[in-house]
Amino acid sequence: MFDTARTFQGKGRLETNVGVFLLVVVRSSKGPRNSSLVVADESLVLVCARLSNNRRRDRSSVEDFTLILLSSRLSAPLLALMWATCWVVGYLASSAVAADPAVDDLFEKKIRPVLVKECYGCHSTDAKKVRGGLRLDTREAIRIGGDRGPAVVPGDVGASLLIKALRYDELEMPPTGQLSPLVIADFEAWVKNGAPDPRDGTEPATGGIDFEAAGEHWAYQPIEESPLPSVQDVDWSVNRVDRYILAALEAAELSPSPSADRRTLIRRVYFDLIGLPPTFEEVQAFVRDTVPTAYESVVDRLLQSPHYGERWGRHWLDVARYADTKDLVLLYGKDAIRPFAYTYRDYIIRSFNEDTPFDRLVHEQLAADQLAAQDPHFERWRLAAMGFLTLGRMFDNNPHDIYDDRIDVVSRGFLGLTVSCARCHDHKYDAIPTDDYYSLYGVFASSVKPFELPLIADPDEVAGGAEFEAKAQPLRDELVAYVEKHHTEIVETARSRVTDYLVKVATEKPDPLDEAVFFMSLSPGQLKPKMVARWRRYLQRRSQSDDPVFGPWGELMALPESDLERRAPEVIAHWQSIETGTQIGQLNPLVKDALASATIAKGTDIAQLYGSLLKKLYEGTKGKEEAELDGAQAQLLAVLTSQHSPFFFPKSLTYLYLTRVFRDKYHKQLLELDKLAVNSEGVPPRAMVLNDAAEVYNPRVFIRGDPARLGAPVDRQFLRVLSSAERQPFRGGSGRLDLARAITSSGNALTARVLANRIWMHHLGEPLVTTPSDFGVRSDPPSHPELLDYLAWKLIASKWSLKSLHREIVLSRTYQQESFDRPAARERDRGNRLLWRAHRRRLDLESMRDSLLAISGRLDRTQYGRPVDIAGDPENRRRTIYGIVDRQNLPGLFRAFDFANPDQSVARRPETTVPQQALFALNSEFMVTQARSLAALEELSADSVDERIAAFYRRVLTRDPDHEEVAAARSFVTQVSTSAGEGSETVLTAWEQFAQVLLATNELMFVD
Amino acid sequence: MTKTESDQWAEAAGLDRGSRREMLARMGTGLGMLGLAGVLSDIGLLAADTAATNPLSPRRPHFAPKAERVIHIYLNGGPSQVDTFDPKPMLTKYGGKKLPEGHLSTERPTGAALASPFRFRRRGASGIEVSEIFEKTAAHIDDMCVVRSMYANTPNHEQSMRLMNCGDERLPRPSFGSWLTYGLGSENQNLPGFIAMCPGLPVADVSNWRSAFLPGIYQGTYINTKRTKVDELIENIENPSLSHPEQRRQLDLLAHLNRRHQKRRVDDAALEARIASFELAYRMQMAATDAFDVEQEPKSIRDLYGPGVQARQLLMARRLIERGVRFVQLYHGDVQPWDSHSNIEENHRKLGQACDQGIAALLTDLKQRGLLDDTLVLCGGEFGRTPAQELGQPGVGSDGRGRDHNHWGFSVWLAGGGVKGGYVHGATDDFGYRAVEKTVHVHDLHATMLHLLGFDHEGLTYRHAGRDFRFTDVYGEVVHDLIA
Repeated sequence: MFDTARTFQGKGRLETNVGVFLLVVVRSSKGPRNSSLVVADESLVLVCARLSNNRRRDRSSVEDFTLILLSSRLSAPLLALMWATCWVVGYLASSAVAADPAVDDLFEKKIRPVLVKECYGCHSTDAKKVRGGLRLDTREAIRIGGDRGPAVVPGDVGASLLIKALRYDELEMPPTGQLSPLVIADFEAWVKNGAPDPRDGTEPATGGIDFEAAGEHWAYQPIEESPLPSVQDVDWSVNRVDRYILAALEAAELSPSPSADRRTLIRRVYFDLIGLPPTFEEVQAFVRDTVPTAYESVVDRLLQSPHYGERWGRHWLDVARYADTKDLVLLYGKDAIRPFAYTYRDYIIRSFNEDTPFDRLVHEQLAADQLAAQDPHFERWRLAAMGFLTLGRMFDNNPHDIYDDRIDVVSRGFLGLTVSCARCHDHKYDAIPTDDYYSLYGVFASSVKPFELPLIADPDEVAGGAEFEAKAQPLRDELVAYVEKHHTEIVETARSRVTDYLVKVATEKPDPLDEAVFFMSLSPGQLKPKMVARWRRYLQRRSQSDDPVFGPWGELMALPESDLERRAPEVIAHWQSIETGTQIGQLNPLVKDALASATIAKGTDIAQLYGSLLKKLYEGTKGKEEAELDGAQAQLLAVLTSQHSPFFFPKSLTYLYLTRVFRDKYHKQLLELDKLAVNSEGVPPRAMVLNDAAEVYNPRVFIRGDPARLGAPVDRQFLRVLSSAERQPFRGGSGRLDLARAITSSGNALTARVLANRIWMHHLGEPLVTTPSDFGVRSDPPSHPELLDYLAWKLIASKWSLKSLHREIVLSRTYQQESFDRPAARERDRGNRLLWRAHRRRLDLESMRDSLLAISGRLDRTQYGRPVDIAGDPENRRRTIYGIVDRQNLPGLFRAFDFANPDQSVARRPETTVPQQALFALNSEFMVTQARSLAALEELSADSVDERIAAFYRRVLTRDPDHEEVAAARSFVTQVSTSAGEGSETVLTAWEQFAQVLLATNELMFVD
Repeated sequence: MTKTESDQWAEAAGLDRGSRREMLARMGTGLGMLGLAGVLSDIGLLAADTAATNPLSPRRPHFAPKAERVIHIYLNGGPSQVDTFDPKPMLTKYGGKKLPEGHLSTERPTGAALASPFRFRRRGASGIEVSEIFEKTAAHIDDMCVVRSMYANTPNHEQSMRLMNCGDERLPRPSFGSWLTYGLGSENQNLPGFIAMCPGLPVADVSNWRSAFLPGIYQGTYINTKRTKVDELIENIENPSLSHPEQRRQLDLLAHLNRRHQKRRVDDAALEARIASFELAYRMQMAATDAFDVEQEPKSIRDLYGPGVQARQLLMARRLIERGVRFVQLYHGDVQPWDSHSNIEENHRKLGQACDQGIAALLTDLKQRGLLDDTLVLCGGEFGRTPAQELGQPGVGSDGRGRDHNHWGFSVWLAGGGVKGGYVHGATDDFGYRAVEKTVHVHDLHATMLHLLGFDHEGLTYRHAGRDFRFTDVYGEVVHDLIA
């Protein structure tokens, strides 16, 4: 067994003398990789501060390093019991070992061969995969160690994990079978002798991100108004966009294509801006309109159309991974709907229609609650913006994954950075350390969903709203009372059983499932595993020789059980000599008294001693005001009652502590409330907000993403690579608004670039940067860097107005080119990356379905409101954006037509051509219904066959048919008889069959 | 699909220009225009118009595979290892008493040792012991590779189902079948490449066969085998009004109009691909209904599989595999049928009776058709069950004669597709609680299966959100001992 205190002191000296930094990590129970919430514990940080003061750490000598000091004295047997070890991770600079041929000999003869044979397979540079982050093939590597800490601490057999592993003590290595005792003895001797190790080889520096170099990446550079390039064809350009495009074309000896004809152009711009086709009459009017500003007028009219927000809002909903449903198990159909998800969708549509500046959209989506708190005129409907954060997957209610999802949607969605890659290790490519990930984690872990979501319309303004609220409120109150009651009961029970908890911690090994308990069924009478786990960590931290309460606990627990009875009195006697008080280095007088009369024979006696002391005090002081307690009482009581007590958990997480029967009831009740809101009429809308938690969470890095393995504390703050040298921690509560402001600050060029690129992509069909949500170092540089910067600059210059940017782009000649092939140009630029022509595009799911409805005269243009079943109900006529997006069970229609996967943020949909799409066109009830309705339209009921055919063409394809087309259609409708199902409801007439054919044509489904 | 992504799956599939050319050669022999358009654009002969890329055209794996396709018989709910493939005499010895050691915590409180009420016998030349629950299946024991040392992370259905299917417990990751069709495409363009069948819906439902960030076309096509009418099994597979000849006339007109439209746009592969997709869809209507129609089987075969929905979907699986479907998954039933918290004797016996004959028949049938050699069969649940009895809890429902979930140790078996037959791999402890010898994590099983299918599991990747994701995440070791 080992004495960490000694180890520490040694290193403490090193630290001040040599300036070596220490990063000390307390590793608690060995939980599984994905375990549950670790409630923040500030006392940890206090300990750190205290220790640093005690040691009078010379800041100047270590300022270059990240430095955390934590925990000095840990009692070995206790640790052994707890599987909790204090390990030093760090870089012991050039700990020179005197070369001694004899000891070197030991290494070469006894140690190295074993390492090579037994260990290198998994623990060397040449290993296929280095296990546990541990390499044993250089001197430095073996001393730095792996995830768990140094494998070898020269001179300290007890602290050397390698020895523990060989002894099969907690760790078992090699896994194939224990080595012989003789070999193990060699290793012990070697370590005891200072572990002389002649192997050289340097290790990569820790904290290996070179931020200065990373800052050079093109995407982070400040946005400047790009200079206008000179071009040969000075007449072609109508605006600056054209100049950049033309310059690149000319440089490649290419020329642009002629402008598309009027019909093509108006069709293109209609689909592009509102996602619906123009009618034949609108096309004709535009074709005939010879005023020079005719096109501009069309563009302006479309940008003012309420359908604009439905089209462009949908693009954003892809990024926001919008879905209407909860992804809980055994929940289907309407039961799965989140009753107020739609308010976010509506917020987006409305904001886009109002051309809300995008920076404001960012602020509102992250922190509308904070804005509302600051601004009495804040419009309530805008609170719904926060659905952006709250509408992600539920991940079986695992909070870490929920925060991860939020980090991902924020970082990829706004910044084009893949911050989630840094959850377990520093980003492999980009300058995003895990520290930054946990800085953002802290922001979201400090934000909670209020139990009752805020109303965004007055119930009195909604028909039936007041009645509904009168019905729902008692149910909500009941649930709140239910939670309150159980919260109180659970905490009370736990406090009264403090002795049981202490005994368990003192006598049993940790159960890895303690930390993973969020899905476990708890039974009545069972100690709460999460509390047990917190007690372990808590005691581990406080078992230090200067702790006024648990100092004696630590020292007594450190004694071997067999020796306890004999040596306890001497420990107690020592503590009786310590000055009483509640300060560090003193001893709490109540503890002192209890110790004075104690007889300690076994480990449980220590637990009993503390347990009954705490319980007695708790029960004796019940009902007393805080002011009535003396300092010693208050200090002890805090162990059970403060926010840092292992018994503390926020009310919002009560469900994690309920026994199975109560938990089931709670979830059922929640579900019933949602169902009531989904199934009732006149439900006043609410916003799915987050609020700042009563207690902000101060994040710590989770080593390898494991919440049971706490690393260094970090501030809640913005990403380092996007911040100035004076990066400041976020100050406003959780920091969501600070984060939003950092995202849109003028110092951060990414947000505008990412947005400009996406807007360009949706207009032109291809982005300038091919990975629209990844602008990191692995992304391809933009095809037209100056153009991208111009667009980003323009966006900011026009106060983040999307509509200004749309206008600029669609009015360009670049946008208006025709899409036909020019083999010579294709020869030079196969992928049309330089835009020598327009990209032909297929209608996406929404445009396709909405067009079919519009053409068949059935489109219901009602805006906003609760989602409707469009996939299951072929009769539904609403625009597709109002269809239920069922994340858990995305309908075949959505999947077949490349809908954005709502699991995660999607910048660009895949585009596939599969027979399921054709099956839909051929056989679906929806398609058949449109064909029928189309054929039945009054305006298509001409007298002659040929006229009727022409009317069909005008309606569907907005043009007249030519002779050959008329002939083909005539031959079809006259030769085809009404379908076989004659007399039944499923009959299709020849004209209906013809209608279906036209609705399935490539001409309709593609936009030139 | 962006260009990089389409390139990715070509690369992931190990398609260099040469092998793509070879595939081109195969085009003429039946893969049709859709495949052609896809490949043409893949190799850059056509404009890089990605819409034309057929995501299901067959592709080659990294190296010569031993298995071409997979049937996963999913006994969802967690079959008990100590009552099926992992006999434990010590458990019998301690029956009714507290286990002397090795009692582990699981989802719910458990008590004394519960001896297996089932009789075990040595079977086949290998003499591997199997319980009477799988009496008929065990006749194939010399073709079966029984892994007795499986383990997972969590004693809970949803998480473990997803781990088994998608390699992650909670995060939205693609399922095995999705990865495989992404990697290999499908041999039959008239059928989906990945089909998941269940009478009802297993717990965690669609997430079990989702494609997550892979294109939606790789998602499993779910077939509810409670339905017996063939045309109800696949969406939009039949026109409610038109006969096939009538539809043919429609298609002819459509093709005519599309060809005219195409004249000035011949360079655009996406237009050609969409034209071809209608022809494919037309053929698929026949092929799909045909594949699911087990009534077309001779009586002898139907009798071999026996009665009931298990038999029917197992027989469907063979018909699908035979037609080139890449991955077929069959769940035993709604929610989690093998979840015998109570009266395991009666429940497990009934469950076995429902599927034993069908599973045995499938193995016989695959073998007699020479399909077993390159079809990998996996059978098992998401975890096993505790050797100790589950204690009754008010309102939770256990009678003390059942077992709780157990992820610490459980059994699965593999057959065909290059696995070692008549072989037992690894072991649990004396009571069957925890895998202790030659342990195989679910990720290791995945890595091994991918290996048999010709993939380096670390090389089959897809770039998403800045990371190259793979099925085994950052885990997985190929268990070479399982391979013949």
